[in-house]
Amino acid sequence: MKEQDTINPSSLRQALAAKARPNLVVVAGGTDILVQLHDRVDRPWPKLLVLDGIKALGKITLHDDFVTIGPNVTFSEIESSPIIGKYAPQLAQAASVAGSVQIRNRATIGGNVANASPAGDLIPPLYVLGATLELLSVRTKRSMPIEKFFVGPGKTVLKSNELITAIRISKVKRIGFFLRLGTRQALAISKVSVAAALMIKSGIILDVKIALGAVAPTVIRAGVAEELLRGNRLDAKLIDHAAEAASKEARPIDDIRSVAAYRKEMVGILLKRGLTKILESM
Amino acid sequence: MKVRFKLNGKFVMLDLPGVERLIDLLRERLDLVGTKEGCGKGECGACTVLLDGKPVCSCLMLASQIAGHEIVTIEGVAADNRYAHILNAFEETGAVQCGYCSPGMIVSAAALLARNRHPSDNEIKRALAGNLCRCTGYSKIIEAVSRAAERVAQERK
Ligand SMILES: Cc1cc2nc3c(=O)[nH]c(=O)nc-3n(C[C@H](O)[C@H](O)[C@H](O)COP(=O)(O)OP(=O)(O)OC[C@H]3O[C@@H](n4cnc5c(N)ncnc54)[C@H](O)[C@@H]3O)c2cc1C
Ligand code: FES
Ligand code: FES
Repeated sequence: MKEQDTINPSSLRQALAAKARPNLVVVAGGTDILVQLHDRVDRPWPKLLVLDGIKALGKITLHDDFVTIGPNVTFSEIESSPIIGKYAPQLAQAASVAGSVQIRNRATIGGNVANASPAGDLIPPLYVLGATLELLSVRTKRSMPIEKFFVGPGKTVLKSNELITAIRISKVKRIGFFLRLGTRQALAISKVSVAAALMIKSGIILDVKIALGAVAPTVIRAGVAEELLRGNRLDAKLIDHAAEAASKEARPIDDIRSVAAYRKEMVGILLKRGLTKILESM
Repeated sequence: MKVRFKLNGKFVMLDLPGVERLIDLLRERLDLVGTKEGCGKGECGACTVLLDGKPVCSCLMLASQIAGHEIVTIEGVAADNRYAHILNAFEETGAVQCGYCSPGMIVSAAALLARNRHPSDNEIKRALAGNLCRCTGYSKIIEAVSRAAERVAQERK
């Protein structure tokens, strides 16, 4: 495996210049990539572009209307950030239940998004927070809503010369939750996850977004359930209807982690659990 | 590529031969074989070391990623008086059977006790969730960590 040096830029400019070359594999925390490379030890490793030395990509910054999260920000940093706790509690919850201490200390938000797993735990929260991704190449700069970024499992619209350079969320305060189900609490990839963000005024749901993880080729929104909830008073009956609708919207597959029917049912149960908790706290 | 970093309290300057995992650098070139490789995929925690005081899997890091940082391995923890209680408590409670998981467990426990002097059983479980043990059934390990925490607390009184 000892083929060639890794490229370790200390600035974004150097990183983008390097990324213009073909066949380069980006490493942030390495918790996905090194697992993938482990399974192919005897073949030569590809040329690696290591991002975690770029300090500018590792910050959480508060602006007037939005919060910027650098792609190198780790799950542990998200979990303990007061800014994230205030404006994106779902994201903090997701970061705190994923992996293990060791994984959370290295796993980055940029890596979670770029890896594009339908079970990536930070993705459903980012959907419901209406996150925007900033994608940069040496010459171009574009932004897009996170929902436009994913094409399928492990597939995104990221071009080979681009990097994710920022993740933005608005500073609108909403209540919400992230709940997931794995085979065990630690070190298990989600079988099903549900994230939600709601704006509720005098008992009426003014706005709501729900995202489902690990039940389709990409993370998806539960649009029918959202429609049922929007404009209505949150009560036990409405919660049941929404949970049933969300269950039907899930399009899971049978795989090694779980079977489809169970996953569909669990979507409803998790949504009900989260919404009921909000109802009880009102 | 040259890297400079702190290893178990001392500054080290090294030439990296190319792409190399941190665990291979530690075990094969620096002879720090206390760090174990179980799965090589982040799942067992046998390879846990401290990066700037935080537990990480050395099987999931590239050696080039430690430039400018501080690494403490089980050898560093074992030589540090502050952690002597952990090692003793592991011995006394029978938290070590085959011992393969022990270096990683002890490194994780050291990181926990450095930031939380009175961990609850749940906090201990959460801190050690990334360390698997195939022998002990965990209860002795949890007992060991909480006994070590008590002793540290008593000493500080
Ligand atoms: C034992 C274990 C348990 C895990 N548990 C969970 C879990 O519970 N929940 C969960 O969601 N994930 C889990 N993971 C998966 C992994 O930790 C996460 O997906 C993590 O967020 C990946 O981030 P990273 O920085 O380590 O990624 P890397 O491995 O460094 O990179 C991942 C991918 O993203 C690309 N990339 C990274 N940064 C950028 C960027 N700025 N621009 C463009 N591309 C980029 C890389 O090229 C690569 O394709 C687990 C992994 C392990 C090994
Ligand atoms: S060897 Fe690193 S976690 Fe198992
Ligand atoms: S003592 Fe054998 S694996 Fe823990």
